[in-house]
Amino acid sequence: MAKYSWPEKPTLLGTPVKRLDGPDKVTGRARYTHDINRPGMIYGKIVRSPYPHAKVVSIDLSAAEKAPGVKATLAYMKPGDEVHYQGDPVAAVAADTEERARDAARLVRVRYDALPQVSSEAQAMAADGPKWSTTQPNTRAGQRAETGDLEAGFRQAGHIVEQTYSTHVITHVCLETHGAVCEWDGDKLTAWVSTQGVHQCAQGFAQALGIPQTNVRVITQYMGGGFGSKFAPDSQGIICAKLAKAAKAPVKLMLDRKEEHLDTGNRPSAFAKIRAGVSSGGKLTAFDGQSWGTGGAGAGSGFPLPYLYQFPNRRRVHTDVYINAGQQRAMRAPGHPQGCFLTEILMDELADRVKMDPVEFRIKNAPPLAPNAQWIKYFQEGAKRFGWDKRHATGDPTPGPIKTGMGVSAHLWGGAGRGSQAHVDLMSDGSVVVKCGTQDIGTGTRTLVAIVAAETFGLPVSAVKPEIGDTIYPFSGGSGGSTTAASVTPAIRTTSVNALDQLFAKVAPTLGVTPDQLAAEGGRVFVRGNNSKGLSWKDACKLIGTEPISVDGKWEDGLSSSGTSGVQFAEAEVDIETGVVRVKRILAMQDCGLIVDKLTAESQAYGGVIAAINFALFEDRILDRVTGQMVNPNMEWYLLAGMSDVPKIDIVLNNMPERGVIGIGEPPTVSTASAIANAVRNATGATIRSLPLHPHKVLAALEQERAGGTN
Amino acid sequence: MKAFAYVNPATEKEAVAALKIDGIAMPLGGGQDLLARMKDYIDSPDRIVNVKGLDATVTATPDGGLKIGSAVKIVDLAENAQVAALYPAVVAAAGEVGTPQIRNQGTVAGNINQRPRCWYFRNEEFVCYKKGGSRCFAVNGENQYHAIFGNDGPSHIVHPSSLAVPFVAYGARFRVVGPNGEREVPAAEYFTMPTLQNVLKENVLDDEELLTHVILPAPGNVKHGHYEVRYKQSHDWPLAFATVVLMMSAANGTTGANGTSGNTIRSARVVLGAVAPVPWRSRPAEEALAGKPLSEATAALAGEAAVSEAKPMSGNVYKVQIAKTAVKRAVMRAAGIKTV
Ligand SMILES: Cc1cc2nc3c(=O)[nH]c(=O)nc-3n(C[C@H](O)[C@H](O)[C@H](O)COP(=O)(O)OP(=O)(O)OC[C@H]3O[C@@H](n4cnc5c(N)ncnc54)[C@H](O)[C@@H]3O)c2cc1C
Ligand code: SF4
Repeated sequence: MAKYSWPEKPTLLGTPVKRLDGPDKVTGRARYTHDINRPGMIYGKIVRSPYPHAKVVSIDLSAAEKAPGVKATLAYMKPGDEVHYQGDPVAAVAADTEERARDAARLVRVRYDALPQVSSEAQAMAADGPKWSTTQPNTRAGQRAETGDLEAGFRQAGHIVEQTYSTHVITHVCLETHGAVCEWDGDKLTAWVSTQGVHQCAQGFAQALGIPQTNVRVITQYMGGGFGSKFAPDSQGIICAKLAKAAKAPVKLMLDRKEEHLDTGNRPSAFAKIRAGVSSGGKLTAFDGQSWGTGGAGAGSGFPLPYLYQFPNRRRVHTDVYINAGQQRAMRAPGHPQGCFLTEILMDELADRVKMDPVEFRIKNAPPLAPNAQWIKYFQEGAKRFGWDKRHATGDPTPGPIKTGMGVSAHLWGGAGRGSQAHVDLMSDGSVVVKCGTQDIGTGTRTLVAIVAAETFGLPVSAVKPEIGDTIYPFSGGSGGSTTAASVTPAIRTTSVNALDQLFAKVAPTLGVTPDQLAAEGGRVFVRGNNSKGLSWKDACKLIGTEPISVDGKWEDGLSSSGTSGVQFAEAEVDIETGVVRVKRILAMQDCGLIVDKLTAESQAYGGVIAAINFALFEDRILDRVTGQMVNPNMEWYLLAGMSDVPKIDIVLNNMPERGVIGIGEPPTVSTASAIANAVRNATGATIRSLPLHPHKVLAALEQERAGGTN
Repeated sequence: MKAFAYVNPATEKEAVAALKIDGIAMPLGGGQDLLARMKDYIDSPDRIVNVKGLDATVTATPDGGLKIGSAVKIVDLAENAQVAALYPAVVAAAGEVGTPQIRNQGTVAGNINQRPRCWYFRNEEFVCYKKGGSRCFAVNGENQYHAIFGNDGPSHIVHPSSLAVPFVAYGARFRVVGPNGEREVPAAEYFTMPTLQNVLKENVLDDEELLTHVILPAPGNVKHGHYEVRYKQSHDWPLAFATVVLMMSAANGTTGANGTSGNTIRSARVVLGAVAPVPWRSRPAEEALAGKPLSEATAALAGEAAVSEAKPMSGNVYKVQIAKTAVKRAVMRAAGIKTV
């Protein structure tokens, strides 16, 4: 299929192109779902269970129905149903103002029979502990894999490390909360949804509401963050549509911050008891890991382990643990930050045992160099750029309370493309419209669509009108798994190439050549090798005639691939008198195949790194151990980095045009936290084997270190 | 949020009168605390009385001190040259409160009278002592940010006001007006340790009273230090902090063996924040400082002494170390010794 390829000498691809909607976003002109207001619109509010585990005895809507401004009420659960987490939706109301909807929701009288709840992994796994469900067990066997000869591996080991490592539950904290505005016209539904998948959402609405998918239109022009938590209409979308139907009015139902923490997903916890061996020469020999974690009420918690490095003999047995808390959802590189942390702290401990430098040790045990495995190169280049040679051995000898250290860590991701369709119209006035039912979730997809079409037509980016974020446009998949760029850009490329071919066919007779002799560059269509023989783009398009060139196309193999690698370096400062950790510098070495837009690719890496600093230091979903209710469902005690907590971040992107486009949204967030934790270990000499690196843990580890060691 | 009436009085008198209703009336400063409580259904007043129109000036008093109006914005306090010259710890505390937006909007009286940030108090589900319930959820629950001093109960909050701590350290008096006229209360006596009788409040202010002024006495020959330990650098609460005000002996100019000024501390005020239900005055630290040369060694002793009587809860032992460091570094700052 040589027909489709990326240009060998691109003029736009890989250059820094500013995001097209940047000005709209910073001036507030961009309208997010929160900003959608429809004539006659009213507001929905969900009534949620305050109990983590209970049986619904009765739901009385009568007082709410009579409350001022109320236009509709509905019961979402029925007596006898079991609620499995605080925030489980039970009923809903709609009223003419947001305040009245909130007030009315509180008048819905739900009687519950509270049941004992499970609020931690340890409780769930205790033999005679409470049960998260009256019908299902607290644990279930998860991933299991074994390779090589474990016993032989441990016999070869000169040193063995045996420790327990863990990461905690964090929530997605999308700045724009989940929600929708739903409006009916007969049995046709238009829904403005804050979603990562307009077409998936349409399908979800159709299934839940029993209407044909062709009757549903979903629109998402601007989206304030999803990170894997926004693919389906969810309960709030379905409730919104039902309230709108019942009230015969458009309904806006956006969740508040508390609901967002409780009921829109999270990254599961991960624990692993690991025994690992290394030969005295520094080669990994064996890995035996028993892991567990919780994805909340009935959801899995798997993750890759061991991560990345080559343990020839290994065994891994995982247990999914259920507790009474909101269910996990995919969260930016699902599973990888956990597997990475659990493995990378261990790696530094093993390196210390054989007295090897962590970079050298990793190079020795990393998979060999390959297009999708650039780690060895990044370790070497990154170490130079970062000044790794200035790193001291474990434990900063500098006097005074501030200790500084460096850490390193590596990661991998897929990011393949898949089916995506597109449509291109070339008008006789020279204007170009590119349509694709993808959505820009803040990653820059709208800009990438324009760049690829502009590159193909030899036009400036501003000459292309990208139309996305609406199910009236051709199908494209959900923006998850870092697949969007690799799915959408090939579709735009093939469709644009085909449209250009049709234009060439119209222009060729006028220029007295065959279409295959034509090229389009610099705003002109001309005979290849004889640049002066040609027409301006505008004049060329005049030959299109009254019927525009209108082409459908789709993703084809060969323009995208899968598999990326990255390495990150961190420098951190620890105040050993307060336990406060401050990240000073991060260096991220990363590839993503052919870079489409340098700016938006870098921006993904910046965002990923900052999110991971939050994971490492600040975020923590804290459930009250007695009641099982979340104590910090806000942005005050659910800590997130502010500007002054963000360090200097250097991004080094390795452009690999020969590989085609690969996604970059997820990988840069994987290894930052491990690199920071290793930097803290290098600074203090104390090993903290669980996240987040809160002062209380840092001080406890330092105390333990003074009392005889954390190793 | 429950619908409420809004009153905008022009004078102290009118404001006090407006607080007297059949129902619940509450004064509104910058609203940074009150509005959030109303939105979260922690409080549902029938009337709110805007008090941003009250005195918003800082004026000199005849005895060489300053009088700060209740409606002064935190940002204006942080940027006031007179305050900076006389009471640098007040400026330091004001400058670190929350975020620029909170400082731009929040007022002095609102900051002093803000309600606890205990996460059980702020979430509707938990009906604890402070909301008329009969238990404190922090005792057996998540208490990593709770008190390490004054933990006799029933409530284990840490007082949230940053400004209260230097005000107590400088010996401020609070002017209060009510239906029966005005009174002045020493800042140190304004805040109350919780008992079963008074647990619904954090201070002596009556429902129909207003805090109108903070009156700071002339500081005298003092050295000041303020140090806050924060985990995040923005939009966060301190884990622990301290203000020290050191009354120096008159004899100046001698130079000690270590090259620092040989000034001797006559007496000291050491007040800690974010560690107890009230701004916590540490007598042991004050005693450890009295009569000593102002040095790093003395600072370390004061830090140790400050936490000698700490009684942390199950999950906040680590705060003892942080409080110790805060006191030590506040004294070092008073001495002009570099801290981190
Ligand atoms: C993330 C975050 C971080 C924060 N960090 C800090 C911090 O580090 N340090 C700190 O001190 N604060 C901090 N705050 C709290 C903030 O500073 C206070 O909420 C603010 O100062 C309150 O001032 P206000 O004028 O807005 O009060 P309001 O909300 O208007 O009032 C607060 C209370 O005081 C009462 N009140 C107001 N005026 C009077 C009066 N004249 N007489 C009697 N009662 C009155 C009100 O009725 C109300 O109950 C933080 C807040 C947040 C959300
Ligand atoms: S510390 Fe005070 S406010 Fe917090 S739960 Fe206990 S009684 Fe309530």
